[in-house]
Amino acid sequence: MSAVEAAAVVRVMVVDDQPLWRDAVERDLAQAGYSVVAVAANGREALARFPAARPDVVVLDLQIPAPDGVEVTGEIVRQDPSVRVLVLSASGEQGDVLAAVTAGATGYLVKSASREELLAAVRRVAQGDPVFTPGLAGLVLGEFQRRSETPLDPAEPALTDRETEVLRMVAKGMSYRQIAERLVLSHRTVQNHVQNTLRKLQMHNRVELTRYAIERGLDAD
Amino acid sequence: MSPWSSPAATAVDDRLFRAVAVLRVVLLGNTVAMSVVRAHGFERPIAGAACLVVMALWTGFATWAYAAPRRRTPALLVADVGLSLALLLATPWVKGDDVSMSLPGYWVIAALVAWGIAYRTTGGLVAGVLLASADLARQDVDGSDYGNAFLLVIGGVMVGYMCGSLQRMATERDEAERAAAIAAERSRLARAVHDGVLQVLALVQRRGRELGGDLADLGRLAGEQERQLRGLIRAEDAADAALPREYVDLVAELARLERSACVTVSAPAFPVELPAAVSDELVAATRACLDNVRRHVGEDASAWVLLQAFADRVELSVRDDGPGIPTGRLDEAVAQGRLGVSESIRGRIADLGGTATLVTGSFGTEWEFVVPRVAAPLGSAS
Repeated sequence: MSAVEAAAVVRVMVVDDQPLWRDAVERDLAQAGYSVVAVAANGREALARFPAARPDVVVLDLQIPAPDGVEVTGEIVRQDPSVRVLVLSASGEQGDVLAAVTAGATGYLVKSASREELLAAVRRVAQGDPVFTPGLAGLVLGEFQRRSETPLDPAEPALTDRETEVLRMVAKGMSYRQIAERLVLSHRTVQNHVQNTLRKLQMHNRVELTRYAIERGLDAD
Repeated sequence: MSPWSSPAATAVDDRLFRAVAVLRVVLLGNTVAMSVVRAHGFERPIAGAACLVVMALWTGFATWAYAAPRRRTPALLVADVGLSLALLLATPWVKGDDVSMSLPGYWVIAALVAWGIAYRTTGGLVAGVLLASADLARQDVDGSDYGNAFLLVIGGVMVGYMCGSLQRMATERDEAERAAAIAAERSRLARAVHDGVLQVLALVQRRGRELGGDLADLGRLAGEQERQLRGLIRAEDAADAALPREYVDLVAELARLERSACVTVSAPAFPVELPAAVSDELVAATRACLDNVRRHVGEDASAWVLLQAFADRVELSVRDDGPGIPTGRLDEAVAQGRLGVSESIRGRIADLGGTATLVTGSFGTEWEFVVPRVAAPLGSAS
């Protein structure tokens, strides 16, 4: 199966306020055989066009005019839990990246990534595989560490030792292949561990949302 | 801006004058009631009634006049206290000599408080002295009269002083809020500008790589600048967190190392606060590891730094993607007595009461430091 055939059915939406960048990404994706079904320059446009465009993957810049990338991620994942969001950020603002991934993004890439890295990331995200940079893995490790020290709910998912180990290796810049070799696991198992990590991170988000709703008394009547 | 004329001080005045308006009505009610009860004692009841009507009219007028800042003129305040003085001094003529309660009664307090609000301590003192003098002048002085007069002066000064303090505090709070808002807006703008610059640098880098030739060099330069700026912003963002001077945020310190192109620093999203001495040693050890990578693996060799912070310790690792250290090479180095670099790294970490472990293999070479953590200052996310 060629790359073009694999990508032929993948519908992508590109959200970025930089026209040059948006065009470049759109062109690269089109050349690689993806179908760019919508573009948007800000959060408002993105939310307005998302329901009709029904993309499989949203390539989303975090720093866009309001509502920002984090809010857009949360909202479109709420509308369609099967959508895959790949967030891009020029500045790599730590808090925003973590917030976007917690809100439901499947992958994160720094904007200076090459064309090949971007296409590879879109391909993997489309398949449902998380795309972690070492920096993001470090943030996620820190987040789980922080949560484990201030547990709000004993039912909240924590990482298993193996998941922590894998995530640490990702944070140290090792590829899945290298991790698989070093831990004597299959590539797929490593991927599953990373996927579980992301799922637990986002599950926490749902737990938090529920708690927030209860605290605000939304369940009272 | 003077603390007395700032919008915040005016807002305080508005509230206080609204309170005075209520006070004035209550005091008027009291005076009218007392006068009705003792109406038989008036020498000139018609003049007394006329005085009460004047007080009622003034109460209404003053409520309206004090409601707007631009109407709070010196003339209004002089008239306010002047009327009270006139009524005090007219008391013997209207009520006769042996009536101890003055004609306006406690109603004069409203003018006193108005002066305190408008002219603060000085105003309270001046109005207090004037009213006390008039009160003493209208009658033969006995102990309780003197006490009342004294209370008027002290009360005026106290009200004036407190109004002044309130206005100053409101002004200071306002200025602090404005400064915070300006700082937040400035940092928002800086973020937008930085983000725009980073976007363009990333784009140049990307297009340059695709087009090749001279443009590829240009793209590479843009890429270097982009990484440097990103590292700088990250370090600056972290520096915003106010910390005691002897503590520093290790995340921000390590982020500085990322400015060289091949180093990736992964760390938590929260600051990791450590005593400056500990942080300095850790950064120095990390730098030594990175120098080693450059020397042994290559100038462009990639390296990854990972920081994890726990309540009781920090774990810091530095990894490279090189071929690893061949078996026996370390022993050989020890035998030749030239294990300078790794011994100095171990030494630094041991001095901090921690451990340094070196792992090497086909996956590269990895240093791992575990350093115990002492109690961190307030607000530490640990």
